[in-house]
Amino acid sequence: MIVASVTSCENELPTHFKFSAYQFSDLDVNGGSWQPILLSSATDVAIDAPDAVNSTEYLAELAELKSAAENISGSQADAVEYWTNNPVIRWNEIALELAAKYNLIPPPNPDGTYTLPTAANPQGPPPFPFAHPPYTSRMLAYLSVAQFDGLITAWHYKYEYNRPATYVTDPTIPYAYSKNTLPSYPSDGAVIAVVSRDILKAMFPLEHDYLNAKAEEHLNSLKWSGSSTTSDIEAGTTIATAVKTAAIARAQSDKMGAAQTPRPVSDAIKQEAIDRFGWSWDNQEVPVRPVGLTPRFGQVTMWNVPNVEDVRLTTPPAPGSAEFEKDAKELRDIAKNLTNEQRKIANWWSDGLGTYTPPGHWNRRTKEYIIKYEMNPLRAARTFAYLNMAVMDAGVACWDSKYYYHYPRPIQTINGFKTILGTPNFPSYPSGHSTFSGAAAEVLAYIFPLEANNVRAWAREAAESRIYGGIHYRFDSELGIEQGEDVAAYAITRAQADGADD
Amino acid sequence: MYDQGTWSEYWEGSTLITNQNIGTFTRSTYMPMIAYGITDKLNVLLSIPYVSTKSDGGQLAGVKGLQDVNVAVKYEAIKKDFGKHRVSALAVAQFGTPMSNYLSDYMPYSLGLGTQELTGRVIGQYEFNKMIYVRATAAYVWRGQTEVERPYYYNNGSYYTTFMEVPSAINYQAVLGGWLLKHNLRLEASYNVLNCVDGDDIRRWNMPQPTNKFEVTQAGFFAQYYFKAIEPLKGFSLMASYNQVLEGRNMGKATGIGGGITYQFTF
Repeated sequence: MIVASVTSCENELPTHFKFSAYQFSDLDVNGGSWQPILLSSATDVAIDAPDAVNSTEYLAELAELKSAAENISGSQADAVEYWTNNPVIRWNEIALELAAKYNLIPPPNPDGTYTLPTAANPQGPPPFPFAHPPYTSRMLAYLSVAQFDGLITAWHYKYEYNRPATYVTDPTIPYAYSKNTLPSYPSDGAVIAVVSRDILKAMFPLEHDYLNAKAEEHLNSLKWSGSSTTSDIEAGTTIATAVKTAAIARAQSDKMGAAQTPRPVSDAIKQEAIDRFGWSWDNQEVPVRPVGLTPRFGQVTMWNVPNVEDVRLTTPPAPGSAEFEKDAKELRDIAKNLTNEQRKIANWWSDGLGTYTPPGHWNRRTKEYIIKYEMNPLRAARTFAYLNMAVMDAGVACWDSKYYYHYPRPIQTINGFKTILGTPNFPSYPSGHSTFSGAAAEVLAYIFPLEANNVRAWAREAAESRIYGGIHYRFDSELGIEQGEDVAAYAITRAQADGADD
Repeated sequence: MYDQGTWSEYWEGSTLITNQNIGTFTRSTYMPMIAYGITDKLNVLLSIPYVSTKSDGGQLAGVKGLQDVNVAVKYEAIKKDFGKHRVSALAVAQFGTPMSNYLSDYMPYSLGLGTQELTGRVIGQYEFNKMIYVRATAAYVWRGQTEVERPYYYNNGSYYTTFMEVPSAINYQAVLGGWLLKHNLRLEASYNVLNCVDGDDIRRWNMPQPTNKFEVTQAGFFAQYYFKAIEPLKGFSLMASYNQVLEGRNMGKATGIGGGITYQFTF
């Protein structure tokens, strides 16, 4: 009896964000004219006009759709409920889950060496990828950009061909979501399902079965919900395949493949810093990791910043200088008298190994705002696209400064220093969390002006959290926020000109 | 009671590994305990452990503080003598809950699992000739959720919550004991198994977390000397223990030593 009564107080533990399909606040009827990212315009992808609504072919499709939607099983109804009418949200969650699943650092071999994951042998061990923050930021950028371009294209043809929604042409079709006047051809749901599946398959080569199954359920749910007929889905698939091809082509030439350098390159980068500044960062693990995380991520092609040196930070205070000693003393004082509130902030934003990383954390908050502000899938994809381009660019900028300055971490400079968070395998200055968060907050403040104070306060808290965790100096965090804001300005300038604000 | 467990190897899932960034890990537990006999058959026990943890490798800070307060009620249901032999059976109900807001999600350094625990235990004992006894116990340890300080974690899938499900466990113990030195010295050898009923494994080279499926098989020795005949020490006893983890899952392969002193008040 006691066990039963205690159990009933326990919380249900949510595995995804609980929300139901909702009425979109706006349909963005001119969305097809917005400027895409990868494509030059929506008309880069040719889509034929659909069969007329009174054609035999289309009437047969509608009959098939009606039959599918009228006879759904319990699990099919669950799928309809899960995917909702804004499945951009679910694919973002799937991406975060895979990031968390693959965000595991390679272990040492018995002889003290390390084997790094490689796309050439994804099985490993260790498995590919290691979805660390730079990898995850890039994965999310490609996913979101491809969704955005695909949906701009879909919107263009929706309003060019104006095939009414299935339930408008045949009011007896049971439609599962909130009705609106969005034309049905091509299917926006199919664009999202196929482009998301294919980008994530490229990013997570061991997850093809899982992603195929997710996409299959999603595509089926478009019929179970009465949303899209076969030709709607086929046209959506055509768009998705074209956009995916453009996205993968960019990804293959963005220099990510060279980001994790061999040892001699890594040693040369370190020597340059010693020659320039007289200091260098050293990994403190046992056995020592001979190469830091992605030393050349700072040279990966950026989305919106013309040259990474445009956003490179100024030189940090030298170890041993008065300015340095002030911030080092702060770390020692905090470690000695850590409050429960500081501990909680450090852990809240830690987003370390095995989690969805700081870019994932900001995607999760963005998702919640997208639903709060009832965005349609196109507007949601735009939000994620500008967020994730800025976050990836922030990562590139941050990594450029990290390896240019090669600044040692607190556990290296402060004798006997102990921390409550694990120190990552890359140089200190600036803090990646701070740069990611500074950029994310500015993009969100632009898109959700009513939330500007909230998101900026979160960014400051995320930056502060690294000081409480003992793994960053205050100057790492403060300059990181500034750099993130600088990077975001480029994304915002581009967004303001893409037609969506008109 | 004082207990110190140390390990330098741990099971990541069911694979025994070393991690030089932990090195040798030490967990020290100081456990004041009060037992009070309400009747001849009914005892109440209260314990409040103070725990400290540290390791000699890596840079992660150890922690110290009060862990969980535990209250147990022990009832002797059966006590029957057959000449010089005796059969007894006991039932124990125990409840534990965290004493402070220590962070459970800081393993292996965390003070405890940070959850409420309710244990139901049955104990059967047979004593031969008032000299040698065998004892078997079985228990179910029901555990609730623990509140952590991050809003997301991975447990074979995403969890968007600050709560973690801590797996419940089943515990068996077999003891062979005996009395020496005119019933002043008690010696016991024990074999102890505690297995969680569900949970996930520590992922490769990742931190453990409270959702893990912990399993441990342990052998132990225990000695207790009662100062029954030495007048100024009458009522006192001294305890010493040693135990070794033999098999495990998501646990350190710990060697434990312990000691303690008891005093029996008589009203």
